[in-house]
Amino acid sequence: MATQAELLPGNLDLVILKAISLGDVHGYGVLLRIEQISHGAILVQQGALYPALYRLEHRGLISSTWGTSENNRRAKYYRLTALGEREFRQQRTSWTRLADAIALALTATPQEV
Amino acid sequence: MSGPPGWAAVAGALARLRSWYRSIIHRDATERAIREEFEQHIALHTERLVREGLAPDAAARQARVAFGHAESHRVDARASRGLRWYDQLRVSALDVKLGLRMLAKHPVISVAAVLALAVGIPVGLAPSHIAAAVEAPLPGDPAHRIRAIRYWDPAAVAVAATTTSEFAYWSRELRSFSALAAFRASPIQVALDDGRPEPLEAAQVSAATFAVLGVVPQRGRALHPDDFVPGAAPVVLIGAQVWRTRFASDPAVVGRVIRVGRELSTVVGVMPEGFRFPSYAQLWLPMRLDATAQAGGGATVQIVGRLAQGHTAEQAQAELERLVPPLTVASDAERRARLRPEVVPFGLLFMGLPAGGLDAMPEYYLAQLLMLVVLLVACGNVAMLVFAQTATRFKEIAVRSALGASRTRIVSQIFAETFLLALLSAALGVFLVDWALGHVNLAAIGGQTAMPYWLTLRVTSGTVVRAVLLATLSATAAGVIPAIGITGRAVYQHMRGGSGVRFGRLTGVLVVADIAVAVAAVGLSLAIVRQVTDMQGLAAAAGIPAADYLAVEFRPSDAAATDSGRSARALVTALGAEPGVRGVAVANALPLMEQPSRPIEVAGGDAEATGAQEWVRTVAADVDYFRGLGQVVLQGRDFDRNDLEGQDRHVIVNTAFVTQLLGGREPIGARLRFAARGAAAASAWHEIVGVVPHLGINAVNAERGAAVYVPTALDAITPMHVALHVGAAPMRLGPRVREIAQAVAPDLYMASPTALTEFRQGDWYLVLGLGGGLSVLAFVLVALAASGLFAMLSLTVTERTREIGIRAALGASPRVLVWTVLRRSLLQIGLGAALGLPLAAYFVSTVVGESAASPLWALLIATGLAFGIVLLVAAVSCAVPMRRVLAIEASIAMRAEA
Repeated sequence: MATQAELLPGNLDLVILKAISLGDVHGYGVLLRIEQISHGAILVQQGALYPALYRLEHRGLISSTWGTSENNRRAKYYRLTALGEREFRQQRTSWTRLADAIALALTATPQEV
Repeated sequence: MSGPPGWAAVAGALARLRSWYRSIIHRDATERAIREEFEQHIALHTERLVREGLAPDAAARQARVAFGHAESHRVDARASRGLRWYDQLRVSALDVKLGLRMLAKHPVISVAAVLALAVGIPVGLAPSHIAAAVEAPLPGDPAHRIRAIRYWDPAAVAVAATTTSEFAYWSRELRSFSALAAFRASPIQVALDDGRPEPLEAAQVSAATFAVLGVVPQRGRALHPDDFVPGAAPVVLIGAQVWRTRFASDPAVVGRVIRVGRELSTVVGVMPEGFRFPSYAQLWLPMRLDATAQAGGGATVQIVGRLAQGHTAEQAQAELERLVPPLTVASDAERRARLRPEVVPFGLLFMGLPAGGLDAMPEYYLAQLLMLVVLLVACGNVAMLVFAQTATRFKEIAVRSALGASRTRIVSQIFAETFLLALLSAALGVFLVDWALGHVNLAAIGGQTAMPYWLTLRVTSGTVVRAVLLATLSATAAGVIPAIGITGRAVYQHMRGGSGVRFGRLTGVLVVADIAVAVAAVGLSLAIVRQVTDMQGLAAAAGIPAADYLAVEFRPSDAAATDSGRSARALVTALGAEPGVRGVAVANALPLMEQPSRPIEVAGGDAEATGAQEWVRTVAADVDYFRGLGQVVLQGRDFDRNDLEGQDRHVIVNTAFVTQLLGGREPIGARLRFAARGAAAASAWHEIVGVVPHLGINAVNAERGAAVYVPTALDAITPMHVALHVGAAPMRLGPRVREIAQAVAPDLYMASPTALTEFRQGDWYLVLGLGGGLSVLAFVLVALAASGLFAMLSLTVTERTREIGIRAALGASPRVLVWTVLRRSLLQIGLGAALGLPLAAYFVSTVVGESAASPLWALLIATGLAFGIVLLVAAVSCAVPMRRVLAIEASIAMRAEA
């Protein structure tokens, strides 16, 4: 298991969008999926997940419907909206460009200077 | 996925709106959903932990710990929807409960604040309420389909006449109206079975009137088209009041014959209770348009119509402007060019107001502004009360702040309390005004026998909405501002042990200003009220012993009168010959009555040089007028018969005219002429042949009563007012005058005889209204000054409880303690009075002037009395806080603050 990493402020939304983009999922499922796709590297405070979900829903990036969960309880399922997909693509591109740039900068050797 | 440009912004905005709507409107459901989602999360995590081998109880506990503080997450969840501000500002049921508790805890402050706003809010509401009332639809027309059609003269700011020919044209051509009706209101002599004629308000109406108004008689039938045919048997509809009072509600009244004017008319129906169209009428007669049409534009009528289905008033206005009635007289072109045809609510036709109603008049905005200033002063004083009341809760506010309550939250709670207070005040104020309007005879105050039947000043739903709006604004001004002041740095100072809150200089200035303005307003209103109730002064202003005179109005019964001049001459001769009658004077307006004004130019004076015109009172007088009033001409000569017949035109003026318009130069031989409105030619020059004293032209201020007396033949004096000098108790001659009039001039309509002292001029009503308004204002200002003093003293006592306690413990006498607290207030009262008294004297001397009716010393006594009233109220408002000072016990005070 990789060492767990705290998310930088502002990146939680991107990770949540990614988790939901993989298929409709309820709140606890978002948490599990982030854990799964990051191989347990990303640690999300459980309670902090919900304000982020509501913020994304408020901005129209995700929508929600009530369904039945695996334990046969009523659960609220989230799905990406068209606006959310667009936002996700833009954020992902922007993040990848930044990550690449930082990685490049961090792997520079004295010879390259 | 991509959409058209900008779609993302729109979609985002829509999503936010939807989210806010759900979170605010369906707040409870949203909150339930959040809790349910949290519970589901914890349940799933618990199951996972159980699967991993934990005992169910331990798993549940750990899942809850891992989730964190659910309530904080819930608050964060709402905040993430941008609702933090809303939540903090939101007034909850708890706030209302706390507000009620605070009102009950400080009853004196609450009552003072409620009373201040209960006066301030209705005062602020009054202008818009009256403006709405005059534009309200006629009774029975909730959709406001009935509108008046009129000509408006923008230059004169007055309604201009419409004629039968214009009515006929518009009736034929206008498509925006389903029907038009013409009417003309005038009093008429009516004799019932007992044969004694009495004047009654009547209206001649065209055939469609009742259809336009949508009113049917409660008994009998409406007017039938056949009734309007020339030569048809005369018929009349009577009002419910006439039926009740004159016919004792006789069920067989329909078919009875009464004398209306000179004709015997059959009663064909009784109109419903309260119906008095156009305003005061109690009888309705068919208007025979053919009979009344004359050469030229036809007789003058007023016009009302019902908008056709699917047409709006704006469409009707546009059509009216498009359709120009043909000119029947060439000279009418100039008149028509400056007039504007208008479709207006009925009340505006009656009141002679511009099409926009009161809202369109600058005076309205001035009145509205003044009233709002009164409300603002009330709010300022309530703010002081709230300030004082909140200061007593400093500890509570400090504890709440320390526990994490935000400033916004505390401010919104204080707002909620003030809002509750303002709502109570608005409800009380509106209820009292509504009750008063229902019980006070407004018509009598306005000098009328009745109010127009369509005018209702009672409270409507619109008034309630405006009252709530004003209550909100008042609560914002009176609650939020002091709350912001008190919840800032002061709270932390208090927590560190400082006193925190203190009245600043501004509040001191407010109290001084309150007292100064209250003294001035009370003085002015007392002075004005004294002036309008000074009957001796009014009688003296008449210039004649008015109490010895009987006044009777005569006018031709209708347009088709025969030789009214001959009747008038016979009447005057017969009245003069009556034993006990010492003199008979005839004019269109007698002393103390309202004389019509006309613009004049004076030859050789400044008026002619600048082309300016001066409006002066103009009296059309019989040549024996001054002799009839027992007056001797002061300078020059009196009128004689030659003044009526010769080519030269002569007039007599009064002393005020000489001072005002001639600047004191020699009046005899000076010339004046009556200017015409607009470009039309002025009249011929008139030569001044005599000067008479002031004869009740302006009873309120003789100096401003310049008048011109024009010698006029009896038959040209309309209305013909006859003054009979009969000595004490003039009314006793009334019945005899009626007998003489019946015998000598049956074709003249005779109004009820009245003692000359009963007449009041428009200026008098203006002054009365001003006095009444100022009295209310003065009352409000005195109450506000008192409440301001009260608030300030209350806070001072609260602030200095500890100090007072120590002083009491050290043996300070009660007198010293009271003086310690009262010193500042006494200084403020003294300053206020010192500023207010000269202000009152200044207002009194400039507004009222030193007229004979009210010498300055009497007005100064009134002002002094005003100061006395304010001082008394101030003393009472100081008494309650002073009792608190004396009740402070040293040990308790020190323990409380320790």
